[in-house]
Amino acid sequence: MAGSALDRVETDKPYEALAVTGKAEASAGSPIIELAQLTKTFDSSGQKVVAIEGVDLAVRPGEFVTLVGPSGCGKSTLFNIVSGLLDADTGGKIHFKGEERQGKELLGTVSFMPQRDLLLPWRRVIDNAVIALEVEGMRRKEAREKAQVMFQEFGLAGFERHYPHQLSGGMRQRVALMRTFLFERDLMLLDEPFGALDALTRVMMQRWLLGIWQRHRRSILFITHDVDEAIFLGDRVVVMTARPGRIKLSREIDLPRPRDPHVTTTPEFLAIKADLMEAIEEESMKSFMSQDERG
Amino acid sequence: MTSWRNQATPVAAIVIVLIAWELLARANASPNMLLPPITAVLADIWANLEILLRGVRRTLTETLLGLVFGAAFGFVAGAVFAQVRIFEKMFFPLFVVSQTVPVIAFGALVVMWFGNGIMSKVVIAFYLTFFPVTVNTHRGLLSVDQQRVDLLRAFGASSWKIFWSLRLPAALPSIMASLLLGVSLSLIGAIVGEWFGDTVGLGILLVQAMYAEDMVRLWSIIVFCGLLGTGLYGIVAWFARRYVWWGTEY
Ligand SMILES: Nc1ncnc2c1ncn2[C@@H]1O[C@H](COP(=O)(O)OP(=O)(O)OP(=O)(O)O)[C@@H](O)[C@H]1O
Ligand SMILES: [Mg+2]
Repeated sequence: MAGSALDRVETDKPYEALAVTGKAEASAGSPIIELAQLTKTFDSSGQKVVAIEGVDLAVRPGEFVTLVGPSGCGKSTLFNIVSGLLDADTGGKIHFKGEERQGKELLGTVSFMPQRDLLLPWRRVIDNAVIALEVEGMRRKEAREKAQVMFQEFGLAGFERHYPHQLSGGMRQRVALMRTFLFERDLMLLDEPFGALDALTRVMMQRWLLGIWQRHRRSILFITHDVDEAIFLGDRVVVMTARPGRIKLSREIDLPRPRDPHVTTTPEFLAIKADLMEAIEEESMKSFMSQDERG
Repeated sequence: MTSWRNQATPVAAIVIVLIAWELLARANASPNMLLPPITAVLADIWANLEILLRGVRRTLTETLLGLVFGAAFGFVAGAVFAQVRIFEKMFFPLFVVSQTVPVIAFGALVVMWFGNGIMSKVVIAFYLTFFPVTVNTHRGLLSVDQQRVDLLRAFGASSWKIFWSLRLPAALPSIMASLLLGVSLSLIGAIVGEWFGDTVGLGILLVQAMYAEDMVRLWSIIVFCGLLGTGLYGIVAWFARRYVWWGTEY
């Protein structure tokens, strides 16, 4: 695997990030998704906000990439573009499995889990889980049978016929994850799936997610605020700059798998964390200061 | 214990009011009986049950037809306005203007158009009912959480699928609220509609009792109007609580 060298990317040489991932691709096949020079400008009532700028990023088949960056740096915006909900500014390119795709063409091609669970209160847990299958045109009965076998694995056995308001936050999050997994796409986008959970539940969920990922082998792009989480889960951690969000650095995590929760206290882990924290704190400071100026 | 007490308290209040009424009416017993004793009203109801029930049947039919047509039309209009912006721009103002003209002003016209039968009452009930349903359907369908719409879009859902699986269920609580309003309005429409001329119905009985200065009969009819309104409202409210139990906030 790649060395532990920190692949720092100069923002004025954005293609370097691509080159870095390009090296690793040679061993693991061509990337499932490749973003080149993605920029997104929001124009709300004349006020232009550049959310992301010149983002280059590639995800290899089966790779678990975690994305960290200060609040408001455009992480969710990036996800919305990749899932087809938002159009990027002209000039950027997205290649999905080698084919160029843009905007609406991407709808339905990746499996997307937004920051909030967004369960539908009038649907039972099982019917919430199968909604994407329903959209694909599968019959309810067949879809339910397909979902049923996953309840054990997702720790939701016995709750199939409950309604979302009868579940705890962690359980709702697992239902949302199950919904995402049932929409079988080669790339999954998870936007802070554990952000709202308490520390203990969060650790349990991380281990559980790794287990599921190892069995199902999908590519995952995972947003988080938590550096420990990013390192513990990821094959690679990508750090974004403060707004406008760019890729600041991309770092391979060569900790062996399967990962034990105790890995978070090993010197290797702490060394990686120290490196990443430095970069992240720098960016958080910038975003904090710019907010200060405005406020 | 608490729930027993919760239910018993309002009942006790009603009983107290009724007893006070009875005593007051007897103390002031006068030939024209401005406030007839309840016992007299009950006796009148018992003696004229057939006439009253015939009126209830007719007014109930008018109310239900007005409500069903009003709700159906109101729903379709609201749904079309929510889905097709150009129709909303063109026709919604017309809907609002239609409601600024008091229905009474149309009464005579409606009777001339639709005859003196049941149809003209249904039309007036309909006229009062559809608007709140249109407004609430429209607002309910559009106030859906955009992130949920986006989630379904990301799964590749069509607008049709999004309508049936998301917008409609999310709008149902506010649609049900407008139906509760519609029940009362439809009943008013039916009763007022009968005032423009007919031979059966609670509204007609009211007018007849008024001209006859029959105070006891007037109260008998009022009791049935109240029962009809409460009954219909109760059924719709029960249905809403049973099948549309989720709120508009989640
Ligand atoms: N629809 C929109 N219209 C205008 N501006 C927007 C819109 N969506 C996002 N933005 C702006 O783009 C920037 C990036 O937002 P985004 O939600 O992508 O951040 P984020 O990195 O996901 O933040 P967080 O970590 O807090 O979730 C923010 O400054 C936000 O105000
Ligand atoms: Mg976000």
